[in-house]
Amino acid sequence: MRLNAEILMMIGGVCAFLLTVWQVRSRDLREKYAVSWILVSLGLLACGLFPQMLKSLAEATHLSYPAAVLFLALGAIYLFGFSVSLSLTRQYRRTVRLMQEMAIQECRLRQLERQLTFSPQGKEQS
Amino acid sequence: MLRHLIVVPAYNEQDALPRTLETLQPLPEEYEILIVNDGSRDRTGAVAEAYAAQSRLPVHVLHLPVNAGIGVAVQTGYLFAQKMDRFHYVIQFDADGQHDVAALPKLVETAAREQLDLCIGSRFLDHGSTGYQSTMTRRFGIRFFSRLIAWLGGVRVTDPTSGLRCAGPRAWRRFAKHYPEDYPEPETLFWCVRNKLKVGEIPVQMHPRQGGVSSIRPHHAVYYMLKVSLAIVLDRLRPLGH
Repeated sequence: MRLNAEILMMIGGVCAFLLTVWQVRSRDLREKYAVSWILVSLGLLACGLFPQMLKSLAEATHLSYPAAVLFLALGAIYLFGFSVSLSLTRQYRRTVRLMQEMAIQECRLRQLERQLTFSPQGKEQS
Repeated sequence: MLRHLIVVPAYNEQDALPRTLETLQPLPEEYEILIVNDGSRDRTGAVAEAYAAQSRLPVHVLHLPVNAGIGVAVQTGYLFAQKMDRFHYVIQFDADGQHDVAALPKLVETAAREQLDLCIGSRFLDHGSTGYQSTMTRRFGIRFFSRLIAWLGGVRVTDPTSGLRCAGPRAWRRFAKHYPEDYPEPETLFWCVRNKLKVGEIPVQMHPRQGGVSSIRPHHAVYYMLKVSLAIVLDRLRPLGH
């Protein structure tokens, strides 16, 4: 069997599907993100299984030369990458604020513990 | 009596921190010290706790669980001041021994007398100064930011990267909400200038660092210049107060 674009897309689709399922199973990927990645893998698989579908789409949109396909692929990668950067920025802000709040609360807790230890009631309790 | 908070961000400063903290001891009663241990991997946290136990002035120690950068450490200090709600001025003071403690009361006095929202300790204001004025490359960067801020904000500051700064309530309450995580000084200074907060400088002497490693590494210099310039230019596009 000769390796061609259709077979490559089918292999890629199956691998992407299995990778997504595996990462969700091990709780390294949230289901929220898995939905879009499963759609991508199914899209790849469909392109491999039904190449005519891709050809019809290319003819309908007049994007039938390789550079246009590359442009579309780069566009999709850009959108995915950018949304990941936005998500990471939000997560970073939340993590930092949580860490700061935690450090401040921990400091106040230590001060309270010290006050309790040195107060007369604290001595009675200990 | 108005109280003031000195924020000392510290990352792997176990060697320089004891001497730096010792120099703060002669300060008057109205000062409190906050050491922010920024996820240090050495004994900085233990050194700070030991100092807090025997200090004449009130000392608080915050431990960030991971290293988050100078901006996050300093912002934690502003957040602490906001939660305690008893401080008027919040002063940033480096743990590495570069800053002169004699400048602290002068910063506060000048900020109060001239009603400044941000008072900066400048290495370059006193032309006859024999103090440490950083490397030639950094001086070039400092001059560049000084001109960029003057051009976009209309206010000339000689030492926009100085980490010795005294912030009044209007400035530090905003910093508690938004503060850049790395290389924060020029960007926050520009925010103050643009939002019509009153900014001033006093001449100070600085010393070479007594230990630890600078947060601005030589191979980060290009990123530093680009990131801070971009942040300043983009801040110009935001609505005022944002």
